[in-house]
Amino acid sequence: MAKEPNLSHTAAIILQAINAGFFYGFSIMEMTGLPSGTVYPAMRRLERDELIRSHWERQSIAEAEQRPARKYYKLTALGKATIEASRKRYPLLERLIPSEEAKSV
Amino acid sequence: MNPSLAFLLRGLQQRLLSSASPLVPAKERAEWRREWQSELWHVRQACAPIDGDSWRAERQVTAFCVGAIQDAICLRRHAWQRTPPFYSLQGSASKCLLLLVAILAGSYALALLLPGVRVESHPSWYQVRPGTILIQDARYNNEAAATISADRYRLWKAKRQRYFDGFAFYQMSKQSVSAGSGAEAGLAIASGSSNLFAMLGLQVQLNGRTDARGSTTPSVILSQEIWKRFFKSDPAIAGSTIQVGGRLATIAGVEPDGAWRLPGRPDVWLLEPDSEIKSSGVGYVVAHLTALGRSEMWAHRVHITDYNEDDTGQDLWGISFEERTRGPWGVYQFTVMLAFLALPAITSFSLGEYSVSSHRPSWPRRLRCWGFLAAKIALLLPIVYYASLDLAFWFTTRYSPAAQYIQLLSSFSICLFGLQWTLLDQRQRCPVCLRRVSNPARVGHASWTFLAWNGTELMCLGGHTLLLVPGLPTSWFSTQRWLYLDATWDFLFAGSGVG
Repeated sequence: MAKEPNLSHTAAIILQAINAGFFYGFSIMEMTGLPSGTVYPAMRRLERDELIRSHWERQSIAEAEQRPARKYYKLTALGKATIEASRKRYPLLERLIPSEEAKSV
Repeated sequence: MNPSLAFLLRGLQQRLLSSASPLVPAKERAEWRREWQSELWHVRQACAPIDGDSWRAERQVTAFCVGAIQDAICLRRHAWQRTPPFYSLQGSASKCLLLLVAILAGSYALALLLPGVRVESHPSWYQVRPGTILIQDARYNNEAAATISADRYRLWKAKRQRYFDGFAFYQMSKQSVSAGSGAEAGLAIASGSSNLFAMLGLQVQLNGRTDARGSTTPSVILSQEIWKRFFKSDPAIAGSTIQVGGRLATIAGVEPDGAWRLPGRPDVWLLEPDSEIKSSGVGYVVAHLTALGRSEMWAHRVHITDYNEDDTGQDLWGISFEERTRGPWGVYQFTVMLAFLALPAITSFSLGEYSVSSHRPSWPRRLRCWGFLAAKIALLLPIVYYASLDLAFWFTTRYSPAAQYIQLLSSFSICLFGLQWTLLDQRQRCPVCLRRVSNPARVGHASWTFLAWNGTELMCLGGHTLLLVPGLPTSWFSTQRWLYLDATWDFLFAGSGVG
């Protein structure tokens, strides 16, 4: 089994934000308060390490709303396992950015 | 906010994105631009105030765009990390040669830009007539010291000589020079006999008359620096007059930059008949040897005894100009020879082409290996020459002793360590494909030395060979050996893409 990567605090926050339903770069920036120069490079690294994956929104949806299509990010299975491990390392993470499951509870 | 300022800021935001995009690897660039343009649109929508443009909103959007540069750098770094070692410069033979060609082109281009190197590329400017010597009193060790009086020079010139067929004289002094434009300055003047430049065989720019015979005014030759400073490099200056030490003199020409290699560094040469040269003080005597005189020359020197009327002799040395006017080429040849002699002291000449099995590469492959080594050395030698010239003439335009010393040291060091690198590099190149072996792996322990072997194994990425380098050289495994891999290994390297 592949070893789970050790996440930096910033990467853990971004991963938690995606897990909490903030699926694109600008929403993560707004949620975390991190600048674009930190958020986007961190997301590239997370995608390289296969913790998240990206996909483009369907053009028809964007056109219907008269805006450009966005690129969305989602957690992979490895990403979900990593965020679980990261919560133990950074216990305040869940309280800072409550995930969808935590909100529903 | 001012609409024109808002327009400027929007232009800046787009400019930031377009400046950052070349940093992104070409394959990912289009998608990267699409994502950032999309995000920028959304950021503008989120930040735009309802009542129109605001300074705060535009500042936020601009700050967002600045992040694109960091993002692009991050993607570029990832691309570099993904690049396999096969593509590195040290990988293939052709890339190694290209790197050397690039270094050579760089050092040559730099040499062309340095004025000192341009002078040295015209040896005819500074080389004196063969058989010309500088006569000095043997009691003085300093070759740059003036030791002969003008009266003594006149005496030698008046006597019939067997060993010399010509004499010239000059002495250094500081005199005021005033040009027609009213500029006046105290300059270093070499007051010399009218035949000085003709005796040395030095060419003069602007092709003026240097022999003052038959003229009422002495001739003057200007140094390049004075010609540029006082006369703004005027090409029509020959024939005009200036005042040197209160006397009128006719400008005969300009010394080519760096041509004067004799003691003293004159700004102006004042050439006049022997009778006009001041008797006071001492100067330098230049003489030209006859064939008989040249036969007496040994180690660029000739011993001369000058007998006075009372038959007492005075020892003099005639020092050849060959040493002074040898130029950087001689130093280069000497240091290259020295580096080749010193090379065995720092590395072995062995290329370690010993095979573990009886397999030997074919003749064409071995010739290719030797050809590659020869090509590297052939490229290294001009690199040594031009790089050492670049260093020697970096701070100076004249081939001074300091420049000579820098050239000597740099030429020797670059040549010696360059040759060492050439051999070390050759030892680590697969004899089949000439690619550098990589992926070193430690094998065994030091305690295995007498039962098995320990050392480092390196692999050719093309799957041709393994290089075995012993950790502790023994009598039965003292140098590195190549293990040639047969076809059964091919499956391991199927995906490498290296032929």
